[in-house]
Amino acid sequence: MYESAKKIYPREIGGRFARLSYIATLSLLGIFYFLPWLTWDDRQAVLFDLPARKFYLLGLTLWPQDFPYLALLLIIAALSLFFFTALAGRLWCGFACPQTVWTEIFIWMEQWTEGTRSQRMKLDKAPWSFEKIRKKASKQFLWITFSMWTGFTFVGYFTPIRELGADIMALNIGGWTFFWGTFYGLATYGNAGYLREQVCKYMCPYARFQSAMFDKDTLIISYDEDRGEPRGSRKRGDDPAEKGLGDCIDCTLCVQVCPTGIDIREGLQYECIACAACIDACDSVMDKMNYPRGLVRFTTENALKRKPSRILRPRTMIYATLLLVLCSGLVYSLATRTPLILDVIRDRNSLYREISDDRVENIYTLKLINQSHEARSFVLKVTGFEGIELDGAPDQIVVEGGGVMSLPVRVRAHRDDVQGIHTIHFSATAVDDPSVRVEEDSRFLGPIP
Amino acid sequence: MIKEEYRGAEQWSRNRQAVFTVVWISFLSAAIGTMVFFALFDPVDLTGIFDADLDIDRDAGYAAGFFFFWVLCALCSGMTAFLVRTAPKRKAKQHKQ
Repeated sequence: MYESAKKIYPREIGGRFARLSYIATLSLLGIFYFLPWLTWDDRQAVLFDLPARKFYLLGLTLWPQDFPYLALLLIIAALSLFFFTALAGRLWCGFACPQTVWTEIFIWMEQWTEGTRSQRMKLDKAPWSFEKIRKKASKQFLWITFSMWTGFTFVGYFTPIRELGADIMALNIGGWTFFWGTFYGLATYGNAGYLREQVCKYMCPYARFQSAMFDKDTLIISYDEDRGEPRGSRKRGDDPAEKGLGDCIDCTLCVQVCPTGIDIREGLQYECIACAACIDACDSVMDKMNYPRGLVRFTTENALKRKPSRILRPRTMIYATLLLVLCSGLVYSLATRTPLILDVIRDRNSLYREISDDRVENIYTLKLINQSHEARSFVLKVTGFEGIELDGAPDQIVVEGGGVMSLPVRVRAHRDDVQGIHTIHFSATAVDDPSVRVEEDSRFLGPIP
Repeated sequence: MIKEEYRGAEQWSRNRQAVFTVVWISFLSAAIGTMVFFALFDPVDLTGIFDADLDIDRDAGYAAGFFFFWVLCALCSGMTAFLVRTAPKRKAKQHKQ
Protein backbone atom coordinates (compact mmCIF):
# COMPACT_ATOMS: atom_id res chain seq x y z
CA MET A 1 0.00 0.00 0.00
CA TYR A 2 1.78 3.14 -1.13
CA GLU A 3 0.45 6.41 0.25
CA SER A 4 1.55 9.35 -1.86
CA ALA A 5 3.80 11.62 0.16
CA LYS A 6 2.12 14.73 1.47
CA LYS A 7 4.36 17.60 2.42
CA ILE A 8 4.75 18.54 6.06
CA TYR A 9 4.80 22.27 6.70
CA PRO A 10 6.00 22.68 10.29
CA ARG A 11 5.24 26.09 11.71
CA GLU A 12 8.14 28.38 12.56
CA ILE A 13 8.78 29.28 16.18
CA GLY A 14 11.36 31.38 18.02
CA GLY A 15 12.68 30.87 21.51
CA ARG A 16 15.63 29.69 23.60
CA PHE A 17 16.12 26.42 21.77
CA ALA A 18 15.54 27.92 18.34
CA ARG A 19 18.38 30.30 19.13
CA LEU A 20 20.54 27.41 20.34
CA SER A 21 19.82 25.53 17.15
CA TYR A 22 20.74 28.60 15.12
CA ILE A 23 24.09 28.94 16.89
CA ALA A 24 24.82 25.22 16.61
CA THR A 25 24.02 25.17 12.89
CA LEU A 26 26.20 28.18 12.11
CA SER A 27 29.13 26.94 14.23
CA LEU A 28 29.15 23.38 12.93
CA LEU A 29 28.67 24.34 9.29
CA GLY A 30 31.19 27.10 9.74
CA ILE A 31 33.76 24.59 10.92
CA PHE A 32 33.02 22.25 7.99
CA TYR A 33 33.36 24.94 5.32
CA PHE A 34 36.27 26.74 6.94
CA LEU A 35 38.53 23.87 7.97
CA PRO A 36 39.92 22.87 4.53
CA TRP A 37 41.17 26.43 4.01
CA LEU A 38 43.37 26.31 7.14
CA THR A 39 47.07 25.78 6.50
CA TRP A 40 49.74 24.18 8.69
CA ASP A 41 53.40 24.67 7.89
CA ASP A 42 53.07 24.90 4.15
CA ARG A 43 50.30 22.44 3.52
CA GLN A 44 46.60 22.12 4.20
CA ALA A 45 45.95 21.58 7.93
CA VAL A 46 43.24 18.93 7.53
CA LEU A 47 43.78 16.80 4.44
CA PHE A 48 43.02 13.15 3.77
CA ASP A 49 45.45 12.87 0.90
CA LEU A 50 44.19 9.72 -0.81
CA PRO A 51 46.55 9.77 -3.83
CA ALA A 52 49.59 10.15 -1.53
CA ARG A 53 48.07 7.75 1.02
CA LYS A 54 48.63 10.03 3.99
CA PHE A 55 46.20 11.72 6.39
CA TYR A 56 47.17 15.14 7.73
CA LEU A 57 45.50 16.36 10.92
CA LEU A 58 47.05 19.67 11.90
CA GLY A 59 50.58 18.69 13.01
CA LEU A 60 49.97 14.95 12.81
CA THR A 61 50.80 12.86 9.74
CA LEU A 62 49.16 9.44 9.64
CA TRP A 63 50.36 6.68 7.30
CA PRO A 64 48.37 3.61 6.27
CA GLN A 65 50.38 1.72 8.87
CA ASP A 66 48.85 4.04 11.47
CA PHE A 67 45.40 2.71 10.68
CA PRO A 68 44.91 1.35 14.25
CA TYR A 69 44.90 4.98 15.47
CA LEU A 70 42.10 5.83 13.07
CA ALA A 71 40.15 2.79 14.20
CA LEU A 72 40.66 3.79 17.83
CA LEU A 73 39.50 7.32 17.01
CA LEU A 74 36.30 5.96 15.46
CA ILE A 75 35.66 3.77 18.51
CA ILE A 76 36.14 6.79 20.75
CA ALA A 77 33.71 8.78 18.59
CA ALA A 78 31.08 6.03 18.86
CA LEU A 79 31.50 5.72 22.63
CA SER A 80 31.26 9.50 23.03
CA LEU A 81 27.96 9.39 21.19
CA PHE A 82 26.64 6.62 23.45
CA PHE A 83 27.85 8.49 26.54
CA PHE A 84 26.21 11.68 25.36
CA THR A 85 23.00 9.80 24.61
CA ALA A 86 22.88 8.23 28.08
CA LEU A 87 23.16 11.72 29.54
CA ALA A 88 21.23 13.93 27.20
CA GLY A 89 19.07 11.67 25.06
CA ARG A 90 18.65 12.74 21.45
CA LEU A 91 20.18 16.17 21.79
CA TRP A 92 22.67 15.10 19.13
CA CYS A 93 19.80 14.48 16.70
CA GLY A 94 18.10 17.79 17.21
CA PHE A 95 21.12 20.09 17.32
CA ALA A 96 24.35 18.55 16.05
CA CYS A 97 23.62 15.80 13.54
CA PRO A 98 24.78 16.74 10.02
CA GLN A 99 21.37 15.77 8.65
CA THR A 100 19.64 18.23 10.99
CA VAL A 101 22.23 20.96 10.49
CA TRP A 102 22.09 20.87 6.69
CA THR A 103 18.29 20.56 6.72
CA GLU A 104 18.18 23.68 8.92
CA ILE A 105 20.13 25.78 6.48
CA PHE A 106 18.09 24.51 3.52
CA ILE A 107 14.93 25.45 5.43
CA TRP A 108 16.34 28.95 5.99
CA MET A 109 16.93 29.29 2.26
CA GLU A 110 13.38 28.06 1.65
CA GLN A 111 11.90 30.55 4.09
CA TRP A 112 14.02 33.32 2.63
CA THR A 113 12.73 32.73 -0.88
CA GLU A 114 9.26 31.28 -0.41
CA GLY A 115 8.21 32.89 2.84
CA THR A 116 6.54 31.71 6.02
CA ARG A 117 4.58 28.52 6.47
CA SER A 118 1.23 29.89 5.34
CA GLN A 119 2.85 31.69 2.42
CA ARG A 120 4.55 28.46 1.31
CA MET A 121 1.35 26.47 1.56
CA LYS A 122 -0.50 29.07 -0.51
CA LEU A 123 2.30 29.08 -3.06
CA ASP A 124 2.22 25.32 -3.49
CA LYS A 125 -1.54 25.32 -4.02
CA ALA A 126 -1.47 28.29 -6.39
CA PRO A 127 -1.37 27.81 -10.17
CA TRP A 128 1.89 28.48 -11.95
CA SER A 129 2.58 32.15 -12.42
CA PHE A 130 5.62 34.33 -12.95
CA GLU A 131 5.77 34.99 -9.20
CA LYS A 132 5.68 31.28 -8.41
CA ILE A 133 8.37 30.45 -10.97
CA ARG A 134 10.56 33.25 -9.68
CA LYS A 135 10.27 32.12 -6.06
CA LYS A 136 10.71 28.44 -6.78
CA ALA A 137 13.61 29.11 -9.13
CA SER A 138 15.44 31.30 -6.60
CA LYS A 139 15.04 28.61 -3.97
CA GLN A 140 16.38 25.95 -6.33
CA PHE A 141 19.20 28.25 -7.35
CA LEU A 142 20.23 28.78 -3.73
CA TRP A 143 19.87 25.08 -2.95
CA ILE A 144 21.86 23.95 -5.99
CA THR A 145 24.62 26.53 -5.53
CA PHE A 146 24.94 25.65 -1.86
CA SER A 147 25.00 21.93 -2.69
CA MET A 148 27.73 22.48 -5.26
CA TRP A 149 29.76 24.47 -2.74
CA THR A 150 29.26 21.61 -0.28
CA GLY A 151 30.42 19.03 -2.83
CA PHE A 152 33.46 21.17 -3.63
CA THR A 153 34.31 21.52 0.09
CA PHE A 154 33.90 17.80 0.64
CA VAL A 155 36.33 16.96 -2.17
CA GLY A 156 38.61 19.66 -0.73
CA TYR A 157 39.20 17.44 2.28
CA PHE A 158 40.76 14.84 -0.05
CA THR A 159 42.59 16.98 -2.59
CA PRO A 160 44.15 20.31 -1.56
CA ILE A 161 41.27 22.75 -1.81
CA ARG A 162 43.18 25.75 -3.12
CA GLU A 163 44.53 23.84 -6.11
CA LEU A 164 41.09 22.35 -6.59
CA GLY A 165 39.55 25.81 -6.66
CA ALA A 166 42.15 27.02 -9.16
CA ASP A 167 41.53 23.99 -11.37
CA ILE A 168 37.80 24.53 -11.34
CA MET A 169 38.20 28.19 -12.25
CA ALA A 170 40.33 27.07 -15.19
CA LEU A 171 37.63 24.50 -16.05
CA ASN A 172 40.23 21.78 -15.60
CA ILE A 173 38.29 19.27 -13.51
CA GLY A 174 39.52 15.70 -13.20
CA GLY A 175 37.04 12.90 -13.82
CA TRP A 176 36.85 11.49 -10.31
CA THR A 177 36.94 14.92 -8.65
CA PHE A 178 33.92 15.94 -10.69
CA PHE A 179 32.16 12.68 -9.94
CA TRP A 180 32.60 12.77 -6.15
CA GLY A 181 31.87 16.49 -5.90
CA THR A 182 28.66 16.03 -7.84
CA PHE A 183 27.76 12.86 -5.93
CA TYR A 184 28.15 14.54 -2.55
CA GLY A 185 26.45 17.73 -3.74
CA LEU A 186 23.52 15.71 -5.02
CA ALA A 187 23.31 13.77 -1.75
CA THR A 188 23.25 17.04 0.21
CA TYR A 189 20.57 18.46 -2.09
CA GLY A 190 18.38 15.37 -1.81
CA ASN A 191 18.84 14.78 1.92
CA ALA A 192 18.55 18.37 3.10
CA GLY A 193 16.11 19.66 0.52
CA TYR A 194 13.66 16.81 0.32
CA LEU A 195 14.24 13.81 2.57
CA ARG A 196 14.84 15.85 5.75
CA GLU A 197 13.44 14.13 8.81
CA GLN A 198 12.49 11.05 6.78
CA VAL A 199 16.15 10.08 7.08
CA CYS A 200 15.76 10.13 10.86
CA LYS A 201 12.50 8.22 10.82
CA TYR A 202 13.30 5.53 8.30
CA MET A 203 17.02 5.33 7.53
CA CYS A 204 19.13 6.20 10.51
CA PRO A 205 20.40 3.27 12.58
CA TYR A 206 21.24 5.53 15.51
CA ALA A 207 17.64 6.70 15.67
CA ARG A 208 16.54 3.08 15.89
CA PHE A 209 18.80 1.97 18.73
CA GLN A 210 19.40 5.21 20.67
CA SER A 211 16.65 4.47 23.15
CA ALA A 212 18.57 1.40 24.30
CA MET A 213 21.04 3.77 25.97
CA PHE A 214 18.33 5.60 27.87
CA ASP A 215 17.55 5.10 31.51
CA LYS A 216 15.28 6.90 33.95
CA ASP A 217 17.84 9.68 34.41
CA THR A 218 18.33 10.47 30.73
CA LEU A 219 17.23 13.89 29.57
CA ILE A 220 14.07 13.66 27.48
CA ILE A 221 11.44 16.08 26.23
CA SER A 222 8.20 15.54 28.02
CA TYR A 223 4.78 17.05 28.55
CA ASP A 224 3.94 17.43 32.22
CA GLU A 225 0.66 15.53 32.25
CA ASP A 226 -0.01 16.15 35.94
CA ARG A 227 0.21 19.87 35.38
CA GLY A 228 -1.42 20.08 32.01
CA GLU A 229 -4.42 17.76 32.23
CA PRO A 230 -7.30 18.04 31.86
CA ARG A 231 -6.60 20.26 28.86
CA GLY A 232 -9.04 22.75 27.49
CA SER A 233 -9.43 26.27 26.25
CA ARG A 234 -10.44 29.04 28.58
CA LYS A 235 -10.95 32.79 28.59
CA ARG A 236 -8.16 35.15 29.57
CA GLY A 237 -8.23 35.81 33.25
CA ASP A 238 -10.16 32.62 34.10
CA ASP A 239 -8.82 30.66 37.02
CA PRO A 240 -8.06 27.20 35.61
CA ALA A 241 -8.42 25.53 38.99
CA GLU A 242 -11.99 26.83 39.26
CA LYS A 243 -12.90 25.42 35.85
CA GLY A 244 -11.20 22.09 36.70
CA LEU A 245 -8.62 22.56 33.96
CA GLY A 246 -4.87 21.99 33.82
CA ASP A 247 -2.39 24.42 32.31
CA CYS A 248 -2.69 23.06 28.76
CA ILE A 249 -5.01 25.26 26.73
CA ASP A 250 -5.03 22.81 23.80
CA CYS A 251 -3.74 25.41 21.36
CA THR A 252 -1.98 22.55 19.45
CA LEU A 253 0.97 24.83 18.75
CA CYS A 254 3.34 22.10 19.95
CA VAL A 255 2.00 19.83 17.21
CA GLN A 256 2.10 22.53 14.55
CA VAL A 257 5.82 23.26 15.03
CA CYS A 258 6.94 19.63 15.16
CA PRO A 259 9.08 18.72 12.11
CA THR A 260 8.26 15.02 12.49
CA GLY A 261 4.55 15.62 13.01
CA ILE A 262 4.05 14.03 16.44
CA ASP A 263 2.03 15.20 19.45
CA ILE A 264 4.41 15.34 22.40
CA ARG A 265 1.44 15.33 24.77
CA GLU A 266 0.97 11.67 23.90
CA GLY A 267 4.36 10.98 25.42
CA LEU A 268 7.87 10.68 24.03
CA GLN A 269 7.72 8.90 20.69
CA TYR A 270 10.28 7.23 18.45
CA GLU A 271 10.07 9.95 15.79
CA CYS A 272 10.94 12.79 18.17
CA ILE A 273 14.39 14.16 17.36
CA ALA A 274 14.55 16.44 20.43
CA CYS A 275 14.69 19.64 18.42
CA ALA A 276 12.76 21.39 21.26
CA ALA A 277 10.54 23.39 18.91
CA CYS A 278 7.57 22.23 20.99
CA ILE A 279 9.25 23.59 24.13
CA ASP A 280 9.74 26.99 22.52
CA ALA A 281 6.15 26.93 21.27
CA CYS A 282 4.59 26.03 24.62
CA ASP A 283 6.81 28.47 26.54
CA SER A 284 5.67 31.29 24.29
CA VAL A 285 2.02 30.41 24.97
CA MET A 286 2.62 30.03 28.71
CA ASP A 287 4.19 33.50 28.69
CA LYS A 288 1.10 34.95 27.03
CA MET A 289 -1.16 33.21 29.58
CA ASN A 290 1.05 34.32 32.48
CA TYR A 291 1.56 30.70 33.48
CA PRO A 292 5.01 29.45 34.40
CA ARG A 293 7.10 28.01 31.57
CA GLY A 294 7.99 24.36 31.28
CA LEU A 295 4.69 22.63 30.62
CA VAL A 296 6.65 20.94 27.86
CA ARG A 297 10.26 20.79 28.93
CA PHE A 298 13.52 18.88 29.06
CA THR A 299 13.32 16.57 32.04
CA THR A 300 13.96 12.97 33.09
CA GLU A 301 11.61 10.10 33.75
CA ASN A 302 12.58 10.16 37.42
CA ALA A 303 12.03 13.89 37.68
CA LEU A 304 8.54 13.49 36.23
CA LYS A 305 7.78 10.97 38.96
CA ARG A 306 9.13 13.52 41.47
CA LYS A 307 12.10 11.26 42.23
CA PRO A 308 15.66 12.61 42.40
CA SER A 309 17.69 12.45 39.17
CA ARG A 310 21.36 11.71 39.18
CA ILE A 311 24.03 12.48 36.61
CA LEU A 312 26.57 10.20 38.27
CA ARG A 313 25.30 6.68 37.94
CA PRO A 314 26.85 3.34 36.93
CA ARG A 315 25.97 3.73 33.25
CA THR A 316 27.45 7.20 32.84
CA MET A 317 30.45 6.44 35.00
CA ILE A 318 31.34 3.35 33.01
CA TYR A 319 31.11 5.26 29.73
CA ALA A 320 33.17 8.10 31.16
CA THR A 321 35.85 5.76 32.47
CA LEU A 322 36.07 3.85 29.19
CA LEU A 323 36.37 7.10 27.27
CA LEU A 324 39.02 8.43 29.62
CA VAL A 325 41.08 5.25 29.28
CA LEU A 326 40.79 5.12 25.49
CA CYS A 327 41.46 8.81 24.96
CA SER A 328 44.52 8.86 27.18
CA GLY A 329 45.70 5.67 25.52
CA LEU A 330 45.36 7.30 22.11
CA VAL A 331 47.09 10.52 23.15
CA TYR A 332 49.88 8.65 24.93
CA SER A 333 50.60 6.26 22.07
CA LEU A 334 50.51 9.06 19.49
CA ALA A 335 52.84 11.18 21.57
CA THR A 336 55.32 8.36 22.15
CA ARG A 337 55.15 6.61 18.79
CA THR A 338 58.40 6.04 16.95
CA PRO A 339 58.35 8.05 13.72
CA LEU A 340 59.96 5.18 11.87
CA ILE A 341 58.65 2.14 10.04
CA LEU A 342 60.70 -0.78 8.78
CA ASP A 343 59.12 -3.26 6.36
CA VAL A 344 60.99 -6.46 5.50
CA ILE A 345 60.03 -8.47 2.42
CA ARG A 346 61.91 -11.68 1.83
CA ASP A 347 62.65 -12.54 -1.78
CA ARG A 348 60.53 -15.58 -2.48
CA ASN A 349 62.18 -16.56 -5.73
CA SER A 350 64.70 -18.79 -4.00
CA LEU A 351 65.03 -20.63 -0.72
CA TYR A 352 68.65 -19.65 -0.36
CA ARG A 353 71.69 -19.02 -2.51
CA GLU A 354 75.05 -20.64 -2.16
CA ILE A 355 78.02 -18.32 -2.42
CA SER A 356 81.75 -18.47 -1.95
CA ASP A 357 83.45 -19.79 1.19
CA ASP A 358 80.70 -22.28 2.00
CA ARG A 359 78.29 -19.53 2.84
CA VAL A 360 74.58 -19.16 2.02
CA GLU A 361 72.59 -15.97 1.58
CA ASN A 362 68.93 -14.85 1.52
CA ILE A 363 67.80 -11.73 -0.29
CA TYR A 364 65.46 -9.17 1.25
CA THR A 365 63.92 -5.85 0.24
CA LEU A 366 63.85 -3.44 3.13
CA LYS A 367 61.56 -0.39 3.17
CA LEU A 368 62.53 2.35 5.55
CA ILE A 369 59.86 5.01 6.17
CA ASN A 370 60.90 8.18 7.93
CA GLN A 371 57.69 9.57 9.42
CA SER A 372 59.28 12.68 10.89
CA HIS A 373 59.32 15.96 9.03
CA GLU A 374 63.08 16.32 8.55
CA ALA A 375 65.63 14.12 6.79
CA ARG A 376 67.28 11.58 9.05
CA SER A 377 70.16 9.09 8.96
CA PHE A 378 69.64 5.49 10.02
CA VAL A 379 71.87 2.54 10.78
CA LEU A 380 70.74 -0.97 9.82
CA LYS A 381 71.69 -4.08 11.74
CA VAL A 382 70.70 -7.71 11.66
CA THR A 383 70.96 -10.35 14.39
CA GLY A 384 69.77 -13.90 14.79
CA PHE A 385 72.63 -16.39 14.85
CA GLU A 386 76.38 -16.84 14.86
CA GLY A 387 78.34 -15.11 12.13
CA ILE A 388 75.41 -13.33 10.54
CA GLU A 389 76.37 -10.64 8.00
CA LEU A 390 74.46 -7.87 6.33
CA ASP A 391 75.52 -6.92 2.84
CA GLY A 392 74.24 -4.12 0.61
CA ALA A 393 73.39 -1.57 3.29
CA PRO A 394 75.53 1.57 3.43
CA ASP A 395 76.93 2.59 6.83
CA GLN A 396 74.29 5.30 7.14
CA ILE A 397 71.09 5.54 5.15
CA VAL A 398 69.63 8.99 4.65
CA VAL A 399 65.88 9.18 4.21
CA GLU A 400 64.12 12.50 3.60
CA GLY A 401 61.33 13.69 5.87
CA GLY A 402 58.17 11.72 5.14
CA GLY A 403 60.06 9.65 2.61
CA VAL A 404 60.38 5.97 1.80
CA MET A 405 63.72 4.29 1.03
CA SER A 406 63.72 0.91 -0.67
CA LEU A 407 66.88 -1.12 -0.15
CA PRO A 408 67.78 -4.58 -1.43
CA VAL A 409 70.06 -6.35 1.05
CA ARG A 410 71.56 -9.76 1.49
CA VAL A 411 72.00 -11.64 4.73
CA ARG A 412 74.85 -14.14 4.75
CA ALA A 413 76.12 -16.86 7.06
CA HIS A 414 78.22 -20.01 7.01
CA ARG A 415 76.19 -22.99 5.84
CA ASP A 416 76.92 -24.98 8.97
CA ASP A 417 75.38 -22.30 11.17
CA VAL A 418 72.09 -22.05 9.35
CA GLN A 419 70.40 -25.39 8.85
CA GLY A 420 66.67 -25.11 8.27
CA ILE A 421 64.55 -22.09 9.15
CA HIS A 422 65.74 -19.34 11.48
CA THR A 423 64.11 -16.19 12.75
CA ILE A 424 66.29 -13.14 12.27
CA HIS A 425 65.82 -9.57 13.52
CA PHE A 426 66.44 -6.47 11.47
CA SER A 427 66.78 -3.20 13.30
CA ALA A 428 66.89 0.40 12.12
CA THR A 429 68.16 3.06 14.52
CA ALA A 430 68.24 6.80 13.99
CA VAL A 431 71.76 8.15 14.25
CA ASP A 432 70.76 11.38 16.00
CA ASP A 433 68.44 9.70 18.51
CA PRO A 434 69.04 6.04 19.44
CA SER A 435 65.62 5.85 21.12
CA VAL A 436 64.09 6.07 17.63
CA ARG A 437 64.49 2.42 16.80
CA VAL A 438 62.35 -0.31 15.29
CA GLU A 439 62.89 -4.01 15.00
CA GLU A 440 61.29 -6.31 12.45
CA ASP A 441 61.53 -10.08 12.30
CA SER A 442 61.90 -12.21 9.22
CA ARG A 443 62.93 -15.73 8.24
CA PHE A 444 66.26 -16.94 7.02
CA LEU A 445 66.22 -20.23 5.13
CA GLY A 446 69.29 -22.43 5.02
CA PRO A 447 70.06 -25.89 3.62
CA ILE A 448 67.99 -28.72 5.08
CA PRO A 449 70.33 -31.07 6.94
CA MET B 1 -8.78 20.30 16.35
CA ILE B 2 -5.40 19.36 14.92
CA LYS B 3 -5.25 19.78 11.19
CA GLU B 4 -4.45 16.63 9.26
CA GLU B 5 -1.59 18.25 7.39
CA TYR B 6 0.43 18.56 10.60
CA ARG B 7 0.19 15.00 11.82
CA GLY B 8 2.85 12.74 10.32
CA ALA B 9 1.46 13.38 6.84
CA GLU B 10 4.38 11.77 5.07
CA GLN B 11 4.18 8.06 5.74
CA TRP B 12 6.45 5.79 3.77
CA SER B 13 5.29 2.37 2.77
CA ARG B 14 7.18 -0.59 4.19
CA ASN B 15 8.73 -1.35 0.82
CA ARG B 16 9.96 2.19 0.36
CA GLN B 17 11.46 2.12 3.85
CA ALA B 18 13.19 -1.15 3.06
CA VAL B 19 14.73 0.14 -0.18
CA PHE B 20 16.08 3.33 1.34
CA THR B 21 17.39 1.50 4.40
CA VAL B 22 19.19 -1.09 2.26
CA VAL B 23 20.80 1.62 0.10
CA TRP B 24 21.88 3.74 3.06
CA ILE B 25 23.17 0.99 5.31
CA SER B 26 25.08 -0.68 2.47
CA PHE B 27 26.59 2.73 1.69
CA LEU B 28 27.86 3.03 5.27
CA SER B 29 29.23 -0.53 5.26
CA ALA B 30 30.93 0.09 1.92
CA ALA B 31 32.54 3.25 3.27
CA ILE B 32 33.95 1.38 6.26
CA GLY B 33 35.01 -1.58 4.13
CA THR B 34 36.76 0.71 1.65
CA MET B 35 38.62 2.53 4.41
CA VAL B 36 39.84 -0.67 6.04
CA PHE B 37 40.71 -2.46 2.81
CA PHE B 38 42.60 0.40 1.20
CA ALA B 39 44.45 1.26 4.38
CA LEU B 40 45.97 -2.18 4.01
CA PHE B 41 46.28 -2.42 0.22
CA ASP B 42 47.40 0.29 -2.17
CA PRO B 43 45.25 0.10 -5.34
CA VAL B 44 48.29 0.75 -7.49
CA ASP B 45 50.03 -2.29 -6.02
CA LEU B 46 46.95 -4.40 -6.66
CA THR B 47 46.97 -3.64 -10.37
CA GLY B 48 50.39 -5.27 -10.54
CA ILE B 49 48.97 -8.49 -9.14
CA PHE B 50 46.09 -8.81 -11.57
CA ASP B 51 46.46 -11.24 -14.45
CA ALA B 52 44.50 -8.99 -16.76
CA ASP B 53 46.17 -5.85 -18.06
CA LEU B 54 44.87 -3.13 -15.76
CA ASP B 55 46.24 0.37 -15.94
CA ILE B 56 44.08 2.43 -13.61
CA ASP B 57 45.25 5.11 -11.22
CA ARG B 58 44.68 5.27 -7.48
CA ASP B 59 41.52 7.34 -7.60
CA ALA B 60 39.89 4.90 -9.97
CA GLY B 61 41.05 2.07 -7.72
CA TYR B 62 39.43 3.60 -4.64
CA ALA B 63 36.24 4.32 -6.54
CA ALA B 64 36.08 0.82 -8.03
CA GLY B 65 36.63 -0.71 -4.60
CA PHE B 66 34.00 1.47 -3.00
CA PHE B 67 31.32 0.73 -5.58
CA PHE B 68 32.13 -2.95 -5.55
CA PHE B 69 31.63 -3.03 -1.77
CA TRP B 70 28.46 -0.95 -2.05
CA VAL B 71 26.91 -3.26 -4.60
CA LEU B 72 27.98 -6.34 -2.67
CA CYS B 73 26.57 -5.06 0.63
CA ALA B 74 23.41 -3.84 -1.09
CA LEU B 75 22.84 -7.29 -2.56
CA CYS B 76 23.43 -8.83 0.86
CA SER B 77 21.18 -6.37 2.73
CA GLY B 78 18.62 -6.44 -0.03
CA MET B 79 18.35 -10.22 0.04
CA THR B 80 18.15 -10.16 3.85
CA ALA B 81 15.47 -7.48 3.86
CA PHE B 82 13.54 -9.35 1.20
CA LEU B 83 13.63 -12.64 3.08
CA VAL B 84 12.62 -11.01 6.35
CA ARG B 85 9.85 -8.94 4.77
CA THR B 86 8.35 -11.83 2.85
CA ALA B 87 8.63 -14.42 5.59
CA PRO B 88 5.50 -16.58 5.68
CA LYS B 89 3.14 -15.81 8.52
CA ARG B 90 3.25 -18.13 11.48
CA LYS B 91 0.29 -20.40 11.71
CA ALA B 92 -1.79 -19.93 14.86
CA LYS B 93 -1.16 -22.64 17.43
CA GLN B 94 -3.83 -25.32 17.55
CA HIS B 95 -5.20 -25.82 21.03
CA LYS B 96 -4.94 -29.41 22.09
CA GLN B 97 -7.93 -30.82 23.90
